[in-house]
Amino acid sequence: MTTTRRNLLKFVGGGAAGALLTPAPWRLITDTALWSENWPGIPRPARGEIRARFTHCTLCPAGCAVRARCVNGQPVSLAGVKPHPISHGALCPWGIAGHHLPYHPARVRQGPVKEALAAVARALSQRGAGERVAVLDLRPGRTVSWTYRRAMAAMDGGLYLTPHQPAYAIDLAAAQTVVSFGAPLFDGWGTPGNVFAARANFRLVQIEPVETRTAALADVWLPIRPGTETAMAAALAGEITIAETARATGVEEEAIGALKEAIAGGPAVVLAADSASPLMSLNGKLHALGHTVVARREAPVPEAWKKAAPATEVIAAPDRAIRVLLIDESLPGGYVRWQEIQPKLAANAVVVVFSSTSEGYARHAQYVLPAPVYPEAAEDVGLAIDTVAAVFRIAAPLVAPVVPVVNPGELVARIAGLPQADPLRERANAIYKAGRGTLLSYADGKSTPAKEVTADDFWKTLNQGGCWMDDSGKNAAPGKLEFRAAGEPPRDDLPLTVVVAEMRRDGLESPLMSKLERESNLRLSANRVAISPADAHANGIENGGRCVLETACGRLNVVATIDAGVPAGVVEISRGPRMADLCGASQRARVVRA
Amino acid sequence: MTAQTQNRRVARYGMSIDIDKCNGCGACMVACAVENNIPPAPEAANDRKGITWIRVYKVDNHLAYPERRTAFVPVLCQQCGHDTPCVHVCPQQAVDVDPATGIVGQMPERCLGCRYCMVACPYHARYFNWWDPAWPVGMEKTLNPDVAPRMRGVVEKCNFCHGRWHAAQQKAAAAGRREIDAADYVPACVEACPTGALRFGDLNDSSTEVAQDAQRPESFRLLEKIGTEPKIHYRSRRGWVREISSAPRPEGKDGLRG
Repeated sequence: MTTTRRNLLKFVGGGAAGALLTPAPWRLITDTALWSENWPGIPRPARGEIRARFTHCTLCPAGCAVRARCVNGQPVSLAGVKPHPISHGALCPWGIAGHHLPYHPARVRQGPVKEALAAVARALSQRGAGERVAVLDLRPGRTVSWTYRRAMAAMDGGLYLTPHQPAYAIDLAAAQTVVSFGAPLFDGWGTPGNVFAARANFRLVQIEPVETRTAALADVWLPIRPGTETAMAAALAGEITIAETARATGVEEEAIGALKEAIAGGPAVVLAADSASPLMSLNGKLHALGHTVVARREAPVPEAWKKAAPATEVIAAPDRAIRVLLIDESLPGGYVRWQEIQPKLAANAVVVVFSSTSEGYARHAQYVLPAPVYPEAAEDVGLAIDTVAAVFRIAAPLVAPVVPVVNPGELVARIAGLPQADPLRERANAIYKAGRGTLLSYADGKSTPAKEVTADDFWKTLNQGGCWMDDSGKNAAPGKLEFRAAGEPPRDDLPLTVVVAEMRRDGLESPLMSKLERESNLRLSANRVAISPADAHANGIENGGRCVLETACGRLNVVATIDAGVPAGVVEISRGPRMADLCGASQRARVVRA
Repeated sequence: MTAQTQNRRVARYGMSIDIDKCNGCGACMVACAVENNIPPAPEAANDRKGITWIRVYKVDNHLAYPERRTAFVPVLCQQCGHDTPCVHVCPQQAVDVDPATGIVGQMPERCLGCRYCMVACPYHARYFNWWDPAWPVGMEKTLNPDVAPRMRGVVEKCNFCHGRWHAAQQKAAAAGRREIDAADYVPACVEACPTGALRFGDLNDSSTEVAQDAQRPESFRLLEKIGTEPKIHYRSRRGWVREISSAPRPEGKDGLRG
């Protein structure tokens, strides 16, 4: 037999067809899958002893109680603590993934500590008459805040600066009707668990131009014309007629009438997206002060601390007077726009920021020092806007700092020459000595009067993720409420009204937040804006197209999302330091194709 | 059915989701990713190539502003109880329905990555690993030891946190019980939901909240008409929300995020 090309092809083809009738190729397919299982590079989860540890989340002032599932001491998941009387076992998405923050790839990992200290010392020794040293505390009300205040009192010309701090707390449980002017009640306002626990007992009327997450779940959403909220407030105060209000706001007369009846029918509270908004003054006219808007209560502090510098709002600081500014940005808090800070700085000011992110004030400071992130540091949390009773909660660290960090409180105390001490312990002792309140232990779910435990047990329980809560006293009316005037009047060249649709936390967030943003488009990411199809068409912008967001304060490259749920004339943004600097005071913007 | 399962009460785990309570916060999505070792999105990932075993969709009533109303609908594997489409099409027997629990399981080590199951799934609840799973340096320490990360090239999906079911089984066995305590087996998304919109339990046990929810008049299931008997029961008092399971896709892309 001669070997021809035809015979060779027949042999190969027949062999291939025959092989399909054997198990070999099918086995190979299965093996392919098995090989893929053993590809290198797939991380292997560590195994070991599994234990539960307790702490408090410090990512916002709510300070929700946290149960961490730890493997060999390393937290692998976080969940809420159901018996907690304020947070009721709820955590927000940021809190659920908080244990990832120490490993965030964008974390500030090193900083020029010696150079910063030398620059501060030089500036302090060379400062002229009237030049000040200041600490900006973005999360006032903590124990370290008292350290800053004491440090500033000890230094000549020291100023303790804060963002606007409401002098009141909101008692949602006492409200029958909640009138919210854009306050994100169900999306980052107050303590999530507390809000949802009180939800069944109040009727929510959400007044805002776009249907946010809160508006979607409100009992009534009043889609108001952007920028006309003051007219609605005037109507509720009885200063203008319902017909006039309807014409100004675009809200139907019946809806306004029904709202007026609702707030007259029982305890009500008015909330605004900005706690400094003059809209909050409506609470006085609704007789809410002392009932649903109450005085803030703070946990006791040692007597010796009370000779501390008073809190001064940044806007009230003298212009061009601050020679040294130390900014504690270690915990996300009320971001103060850089445009408000800059005029307060002297010409040759030294700005040092303690931060874990390069997104915030690190963009403007000469020295950025790495700060610990949650859950690395032992600190207390502060008070949320809906926390009525005084509480003291320590965020017990769950991991050791994974990069060399600077403790902002210790460094400021060192600069001011305060004696070395453990302020948290001193504060806990002062609370214990007050002899009131209840100590909650999450590990065993026990609630014990503070006076029935020893001082050592009191401290130990707090450090194991316990919580002290003051006795529930009678609600008092808050002191004088201070508000800020509204923003600038509309400009013709900036036709869009800026609406904050996403209340992002400032600071680092877990890389897993990509699930909510890029991987699902459930939330607007930091560099996205949403506009209406009409505005997009008018400006030649495509969905997902690059464009520029422009306000009176500057420009920012963003990606456009076209959403028919956004009314014409509105641009939805996601809050963050860059957006705050761009849009904070300026409510007007335009979006143009890049 | 094995002899072991014959002697045990057969469960039919399911979930009820109150859409009127869901605020679209995404806590369920993040908790799911933490529990099941789902990695963060690689640089090139988007809403089509990302992995979200539970995904909250924003839906609306298709009316123009200001009549437009939205709702948030969490969609996960519907754990089809009848003619489970993904089981039928899998050439590798990588998908099965556990007769003891009714949970549709996915075995990544058997998966070939052909993605027939993704095509067959009427709910778009299956996800393909386009990339090797990778976490930022150090973050791999936070992985859940009860769940193995999946490799590139395989399909994965919600399994009602099967690792938790195993843990509950072990706890029951250690206590000398044959049945697990319902409180010991709660999926991560249900545990994380701050509004209480998600409930979980045995649909075969009429005393459970989830079984009672399934009987409510405002309860519905997605694509019920195709007869796959999903075990996820949604409910809403709003008529237009109840109609979404059979609503046509919106025309054009203007109504969609992304």
